[in-house]
Amino acid sequence: MNFKIKIVMMVTALLSLTVLSCKAAIKNAKTESIKVYGNCDMCKNRIEQAANKKGIAKADWDADSKLLSLTYDSKQTTTEEVLKRIAYAGYDNALFLAPDEAYTKLPGCCQYKRKNITKTVVTETKKDVLSDTTKKEGPLAKVFSYYFALKDALAKDDGNAAAVQAKALYKAIEVAPMDKMTPAEHAVWMNRQQKLSYDAEHIKGVTETEHQREHFVSLSKNMYEVIKVFKMDLPVYYDYCPMANDGKGANWLSLQETINNPYMGKKMQTCGKVQETITK
Amino acid sequence: MKKIIIALLLGFSALSSLSQKIVRYDLYVRDTVVNFTGKEKRAISVNGQIPMPTLTFTEGDTAEIYVHNELNEKTALHWHGLFLPNREDGVPYLTQMPIEPHTTYLYRFPIIQTGTHWYHSHFELQEQIGMYGSFIMNKRKADPTFRKGIDDLPAVPIVLSEWTDYKPKNVHRMLHNAGDWFAIRKGTTQSYGEAIKQGYLKTKVKNEWKRMTAMDVSDVYYDKFLINGKNESQLPQFKAGDKVRLRVSNGGASSYFWLQYSGGKITVIANDGNDVEPVEVDRLIIAVSETYDVLVTIPKDSIAYEFLTTPEDRTKSTSLWLGSGVKKLANPMPKLKYFEGMKMMNDMMKLNGDLNDMGMSMSLNRMDMNVVMYPEITGAINKKKSKDMKGMDMQGMDMSKDNSMHDGNQYNANALSDIVTLNYAMLKSPTPTKLPDTTVKTFCFTLTGNMNRYVWSLDNKVVSEADKILIHKGENVRIVLYNNSMMRHPMHLHGHDFRLLNGKGDRAPLKNIVDIMPMETDTLEFNANVYGDWFFHCHILYHMMSGMGRVFSYENQPANPEIKNPKLAQRKLFNDDRKFHFMAENDFATNGNDGMAMYSNTRWQVASEWRLGYHDMHGYEIENHIGRYVGRMQWFMPFIGYDYRYRMRDGEINFQESNIFGQTNTKDTRQALSLGFVYTLPMLIKLETEVFTTGTVLVQLKRDDIPITKRIRAHLMINTDKEYMIGLQYVFSRFMALRVHYDSDMGLGFGLNLNY
Repeated sequence: MNFKIKIVMMVTALLSLTVLSCKAAIKNAKTESIKVYGNCDMCKNRIEQAANKKGIAKADWDADSKLLSLTYDSKQTTTEEVLKRIAYAGYDNALFLAPDEAYTKLPGCCQYKRKNITKTVVTETKKDVLSDTTKKEGPLAKVFSYYFALKDALAKDDGNAAAVQAKALYKAIEVAPMDKMTPAEHAVWMNRQQKLSYDAEHIKGVTETEHQREHFVSLSKNMYEVIKVFKMDLPVYYDYCPMANDGKGANWLSLQETINNPYMGKKMQTCGKVQETITK
Repeated sequence: MKKIIIALLLGFSALSSLSQKIVRYDLYVRDTVVNFTGKEKRAISVNGQIPMPTLTFTEGDTAEIYVHNELNEKTALHWHGLFLPNREDGVPYLTQMPIEPHTTYLYRFPIIQTGTHWYHSHFELQEQIGMYGSFIMNKRKADPTFRKGIDDLPAVPIVLSEWTDYKPKNVHRMLHNAGDWFAIRKGTTQSYGEAIKQGYLKTKVKNEWKRMTAMDVSDVYYDKFLINGKNESQLPQFKAGDKVRLRVSNGGASSYFWLQYSGGKITVIANDGNDVEPVEVDRLIIAVSETYDVLVTIPKDSIAYEFLTTPEDRTKSTSLWLGSGVKKLANPMPKLKYFEGMKMMNDMMKLNGDLNDMGMSMSLNRMDMNVVMYPEITGAINKKKSKDMKGMDMQGMDMSKDNSMHDGNQYNANALSDIVTLNYAMLKSPTPTKLPDTTVKTFCFTLTGNMNRYVWSLDNKVVSEADKILIHKGENVRIVLYNNSMMRHPMHLHGHDFRLLNGKGDRAPLKNIVDIMPMETDTLEFNANVYGDWFFHCHILYHMMSGMGRVFSYENQPANPEIKNPKLAQRKLFNDDRKFHFMAENDFATNGNDGMAMYSNTRWQVASEWRLGYHDMHGYEIENHIGRYVGRMQWFMPFIGYDYRYRMRDGEINFQESNIFGQTNTKDTRQALSLGFVYTLPMLIKLETEVFTTGTVLVQLKRDDIPITKRIRAHLMINTDKEYMIGLQYVFSRFMALRVHYDSDMGLGFGLNLNY
């Protein structure tokens, strides 16, 4: 009996200890005021959540002044550690700039205006490539670029996007400036335009990728004949997947060397190989 | 007339040797104490530093490297990726005898190539504790392959490495004893408790059914990761617009590293010291012992950009900041989804331990099965799944997911996301690398191994079990590698660069390491052009020391003067993988002592198990086995044994017990020899069948270390002597566990389990 009582006493003592330590104020407290960028009350929540650590760091952020008042245990942590956590949550501050991915993931209202940061290099270069191709590629630049966009949409199993791109492609085929073509180019174009137009029209008319892909087979074949004569500044890869088109195999064109299969979609995105590289 | 010619020739050679520049380095190898974690630990420094100093040469120089071994142990330095005479290659007991303590050894060889390479100790496990450094060979200005805008940029040598507070010998021993302490430290136990919580119970059961333990992408828990010996460092001198060439070598003993940069794309310009056509990527993984030269750009002033280096297991990271000012963070790598990985392994693993690639021909790191574990590619852990589990048909969910897996491959990171990850198929040499037109000899190797006993081999043979592979000078050698093991292996060839056949035709890249993932097949080829015994091995230090390698040797080659006693040298070389590892544990319990000791190597095991009561009534019992593991997966072990038991019950003499076969025997005093075998059944249950000289038969089923939670393990045993045992233990440190068990002979016991 005695023994039991002892245990109960010990347990309560332990419990009260832990309760005490939880409530205890931050030891070796140091307080600092630091700039943290953000917008709204939602930001306030997220910033403070990232900064706070029980018994070690406590933060209060003011949306107007963009100042974070931070109290922390100077023996347990540093401002640097806390600000790094805040940056990982998406908020630029005096010491750290958030990773671009963390910033883009912020809810819309929290997307504060970033100082210091140019847009990510990644997207810029990609855009450059595309706009370059449209500038220099001559009479069928638009046709080609919509074709590639259509291919990407199919590779992502996105029937809606594919329809949209096909619509643009259809239009581009209609208005392609034949007066700017060389005689050889013109001959090929005359031969293929109808067929291209036919497939593009069918693809834009539906959103089921299955049907779109059926037409994409012949569209790609005709596009290949065209691009072989017109040629782009960039190398174009003529890819082949034996499993596409119900196992009959099919081709497509791509600007990237890595296989990104528009027929199999996400399931077998890498199926296929480069059959031919078309360069100028 | 002849004399004149000879004199002329002599004069000429004297001239040419004069024009050669001799570059001398003195390396003082010393014991040192480091403190990476708050604890002082032993390490090895060279010239007072870790990593070892960067050695820089220009093609055409002659290197003279004096190694002053001030350690109390032997050493040897290997010049990784270099073309040199075999005797300078630095593999102890193969190309030279190791450098004795307190002696000086000279390595002297001409520099006949360029690029980023590195050097490290090839003696035992010294590489783990500091013996790695950069070895840079610059191009001459007049070199026709000199690339303007690349080779004239500022370059920073970078050595990546890792640190563990455990002694490397202990790490090696712990790996061989297949404990899960490293997994506990990493938080990757993958216990049944965690599986149920995250909705992966079926996956876990299937995994154990296929006789696999928890899966991981790396073997060892490390305390710190280092760039040039520091966890975090900064190069503030760079300004906006600067392009910087980072010459990155992975000097880690067993860690692969992801490289990322917060200032934009990374341009890869060379691999394993050989130029490649520049290719832009968002990230790349550098295999153990590989080198990559990458270009990064500083986009803006007053911002420091992070070159973030994360080990493959993503437990921690290390950073180098380029530029000065507010620090721009790279996106940290999210934690791996281990149960998704487990599910993937389940699908790939056949019941017999072979891997099944389901018809995908995999090669060149293009398909990374591990993408199923990468949240940044395949999405975060589905929180809904664990939350909404109640009332949902979990099995149905698992099924539907499984089906989508079988539809085909979905492991190409570049196709699955916008993040561009480098793979070998993207590497292209700027110059033709075609081999001379001559005869081709082809060798095929299967990389084999099993995690449970930490045995790693080629074609299920370790170095000491296989002959040297003879090749002929002048011929082309083609090697086809298939990885049938569950881990990736960076295979390294000494003394030669090989072409990795990656679809680039004449422009196949030159490399000396090929990282090969499970189920991949890669083909490489080289021209046999320099005599010697050249090591070809997995560069994961603990795999190499376990015997994962071969020696390529030239027919009719001159003897190596450094190896005066080839037989002795060979025996010493073979000792590495013949080594026995010791483990022991004992449970000091209220009802007696339960324990075992084991002494084992690649194939053999000597083991004792004991149950010692505190008085005669409970008895004393000890079983000894000597067994040999058979087969690649080592699920089968025949053994011979010797048992001794003594027990005295009150008032009963010669008490007879009968087993379920109706055979009787006494436990009172018994000594018997036995023959038997242990076979690992699905669910990792060990079936032990033993016939004693007394004629009695014993069949026993036993399962140890069932992971219930991160730290709780269960044990079960039952046998035909109508004995049984169930136990639970809580692991609270590397050496200690609290244990409670019930034994049919000895009853209920609480105890403290100590293990080594």
